[in-house]
Amino acid sequence: MQQKNLSIMHPRPSSIVAALYTLRDLNVEVAILHGPPGCSFKHARLLEEDGIRVVTTALDENGFVFGGHDRLVDMLQKVEERFSPKRIGVVGTCVSMIIGEELHEAVMEANLDAPVIEVEVHAGYNDNTKGVLFALESALDVGIIDRQEFERQQHLLNEATNVEKKYGAASKEYLEPSRGDVKYTVAKRVIEMLKEGKKGICILNAKKETAYMFADITLALQEVAENLGVEDNIVNFANLDTELGLPRVRQHAEHILADMDDNVKIDEIIGGLDEYPIAGQQVRQLIEAKYRDFDFAVISGVPHAIPMEALEGMELISITNGPRQVHPLKDMGHEHVLVEIDLHPKTLGVTNIVESEFGATLRQLAREE
Amino acid sequence: MNPQKRIAIYGKGGIGKSSTASNVAAACADEGYNVMIIGCDPKSDSSITLLGGKRIPTILDLLRDGMEIEEEDEVVFEGYKGVKCVEVGGPEPGIGCAGRGIIVAIQKLKKISQSMKEMDLIIYDVPGDIVCGGFVAPIRKGLVSEAYVLTSGEYMPLYAANNICKGLSRINTKLSGVICNSRSVSREEKIVSKFANEIGSELVAFIPKEQIVQDCERDGYSVLEKAGDTDIAEVYRTLARNIMASDCAVDPRALEDERLRELTR
Repeated sequence: MQQKNLSIMHPRPSSIVAALYTLRDLNVEVAILHGPPGCSFKHARLLEEDGIRVVTTALDENGFVFGGHDRLVDMLQKVEERFSPKRIGVVGTCVSMIIGEELHEAVMEANLDAPVIEVEVHAGYNDNTKGVLFALESALDVGIIDRQEFERQQHLLNEATNVEKKYGAASKEYLEPSRGDVKYTVAKRVIEMLKEGKKGICILNAKKETAYMFADITLALQEVAENLGVEDNIVNFANLDTELGLPRVRQHAEHILADMDDNVKIDEIIGGLDEYPIAGQQVRQLIEAKYRDFDFAVISGVPHAIPMEALEGMELISITNGPRQVHPLKDMGHEHVLVEIDLHPKTLGVTNIVESEFGATLRQLAREE
Repeated sequence: MNPQKRIAIYGKGGIGKSSTASNVAAACADEGYNVMIIGCDPKSDSSITLLGGKRIPTILDLLRDGMEIEEEDEVVFEGYKGVKCVEVGGPEPGIGCAGRGIIVAIQKLKKISQSMKEMDLIIYDVPGDIVCGGFVAPIRKGLVSEAYVLTSGEYMPLYAANNICKGLSRINTKLSGVICNSRSVSREEKIVSKFANEIGSELVAFIPKEQIVQDCERDGYSVLEKAGDTDIAEVYRTLARNIMASDCAVDPRALEDERLRELTR
């Protein structure tokens, strides 16, 4: 028996949303949210930018009292009729799970040709990775992923949860959001170090589609170093293995590598785009073996998943997209912490690297030098 | 080996589901079956007479205290002749949602309980009527395959029994029989038997009203354990054998309210 963890005051992403993102990564074409019309609306809309349709059964007060079975059957059939999707997802909400709606029965009754991934999930889990896990369990049942991939994902989820609890947005009862340091100042410092001939490691350790923008920082640093004639002083790490992860995640790695192709060489691949919680170990081994004498590191994506022992003696410039990640990173000892505001909306639905604010600032400053 | 029997006992609140369930469990254990009883009533009185009057911690009590239940033996307790006892428990009156409580507790149980698979009989003692999604969760989550409905010959319990039949047919669950727990009203056996026939089922047991049942309960024992040689103990034994042998479950057809009133007039 274990005591539950300390409860956290600031709202965090929900398991329902996590399930929706997982369905997208499983290349589901339409996801039905079985619940109130407004449930998870912001993410539902964002996901539509990313090519997955999200519809709702729009349960109202009557639905809460009398159940929404017929509405769900109706919606499943409507979805098939209108969109002819190859793969469908049905996701529970707090309401439908509290009133005991049975997703499976509705799916059976609707009797569709396409496989349906059922996710019985509500938002009341402290670890939102539960939503991912439930979606994967169901995908395993339907035969969309195999046991090996399921177990791999399960391991990564546990590690992701550990990282968030130790150093991330779930590490403190309340975390003040922050925009971090001024990009201009930090860009100046990076250029200064390059000019001094200091050696730097650029680590891209990004979570899935966020890599489309974080990868721009790798590109920008490369450009600036080349302009200063010190490109040999920079090595690039990236978690862009194209052979690992759910279907859509592998595609992201391919797109980004294709975009980088002519401009930058990735010296070390440190895992797949879903391996951000465990890539830190590989980073540590690589640094210990080959890059111990480096002076600074620019880390983008999930910098808090890289163990501090690995980075000992280096000046750290870290770029995150979470305003609540600034204070934990500072506490860990990262000197410069930057936030790419609104990163996620800008990286959904894209297949090319997207310009980052820090990348743009670096380039502009280098031009002015 | 017999296939596993997984039954739910429904019926109006206070009609005697828990005492029937625990006596049937004890009778089956006497016959050498592996039995589990899962009480879903907040009173958690399904198992108390199998445990010599001792209360066991309920699944929801532990969850309320913030415990992560990981081991079966934290919530499954052995009682009379090895009957495995589980109590779901419930929230305080006026707070939270009992239906959701059942859903959560049985999902938890399903996840951690290995011995459920080894049982010959699992009895779900469900609270009262089928009033919301939570109350049918044991069936909908695939844990129950057949149902029994308990009633007396009075209008209200019959009304509830009829309602339960509506619920069962909605969720495509078979009814294995009607049990009459007598309140000693006039023409009782006839009324309930007629009701059972009209909904397409049959009266599988008539349990007479006997003080000895109450007395044993007050002492914290089942009739089978404390007064095994009485006639009423024999009634429970017969019912238990019927349940273990039953293979004629039906899709119940609920009656119109007017017909129900006629029956009890």
